[in-house]
Amino acid sequence: MRKYLGPLSKDNPILVQILGVCSALAVTAQLKPAVVMTLSVMVVCAVANLVISLIRNTIPPRIRIIVQLLVVSTLVIVVDQVLQAVVYDVSKMLSVFVGLIITNCIIMGRLEAFALSHKPIPSFIDGLMNGAGYGLVLVIVAFFRELLGSGTLWNYPVIPSAFYEAGYMNNGLMILPPMALILVGTLVWIQNSKKINAK
Amino acid sequence: MKEFSNRYIFLYITLLVVVTAVLLTGVHIGLKPRQEANQQIEKAQQILRAAGYGDVEKTVAAEKFSSVATRTERNGHEAYTIQCADGTEGTVIRVNGKGLWGPIWGYVVLADDQATIKGIVFSHKSETPGLGDKITQDKFTSSFIGKKIVDKNGNFVSVRVLQKGKENNIAEENRVDAISGATLTSKGVDAMLRNCLNEK
Repeated sequence: MRKYLGPLSKDNPILVQILGVCSALAVTAQLKPAVVMTLSVMVVCAVANLVISLIRNTIPPRIRIIVQLLVVSTLVIVVDQVLQAVVYDVSKMLSVFVGLIITNCIIMGRLEAFALSHKPIPSFIDGLMNGAGYGLVLVIVAFFRELLGSGTLWNYPVIPSAFYEAGYMNNGLMILPPMALILVGTLVWIQNSKKINAK
Repeated sequence: MKEFSNRYIFLYITLLVVVTAVLLTGVHIGLKPRQEANQQIEKAQQILRAAGYGDVEKTVAAEKFSSVATRTERNGHEAYTIQCADGTEGTVIRVNGKGLWGPIWGYVVLADDQATIKGIVFSHKSETPGLGDKITQDKFTSSFIGKKIVDKNGNFVSVRVLQKGKENNIAEENRVDAISGATLTSKGVDAMLRNCLNEK
């Protein structure tokens, strides 16, 4: 079981492998899109791992990347269509970034490194946990960006109006992508210092 | 490693493509009604907001919209006649344009003199968060209320979106302030209104 928990901390796809950073910067201005993005990536990563693992012995190695892309892009389009039908406002906020899950290196990476050589159930769990590791970072970053940038959490105002009357202002920089990069960088720093201390 | 013949590879990928294509078509057809309903609701909410009804709940927006608005045409473009929240009749005109990164669009509600703006809403596909996307906020849209799209002589001038102090020959009632930090998006709004509100 321990090895499956790796993606949440010491093998985190964003913080340690530095994958999927682009979308992590783009969808974390608020919590809600970050959580929806997390769920989307978890679903795509887990199901793609499962499917590829199920057909792994029939895939000709010469075209395995094409087969992987086909499976991943099919899943992403399905997820995108479902989001548009069920949570239309969030799907508008995520705009192109749902489509760009196709190119998320975390997913292709897990297919190559894990699903092609493991049984379906472990592959499914591995995909789920890697999606969760990605999502964990998204949620942490989105929490700080929404709280400090908009004064809300999940669109509910959490900073009392007395603060604003006393001169407190939301930090507009938090909403812009550079601040997401700085926050992700800070998390990478914390992660690395933990690793060094453990040695 | 197992060897695969070319024949096998071609058959394999063809089969896979057919399977995924059928799957995607099924999903698309199955979900289409709900997606279109969502778009209709969003449109109804936007127009109702421009007509002074405030934020209408998703569940009742479509119903409310069909009870106050009737579809018409204006120069061959989509338009509606609407009963505004204050009881007067207004004309809703759909406007389409280009922002900095992608399409922008909106609905303009004109009072029954066909010249005064009663309300306006904008939407965008991908304007910069925190800068260009401010065109959707009340602070910007409320500055349009009461402005006129014609000058004193009745000639069409549109409502220009201009930087404060620039092009002073345009009267105060025909202009609003552009958004600082979003020059190109503001210019997009300006061009969109000029193109789409013109009678000709």
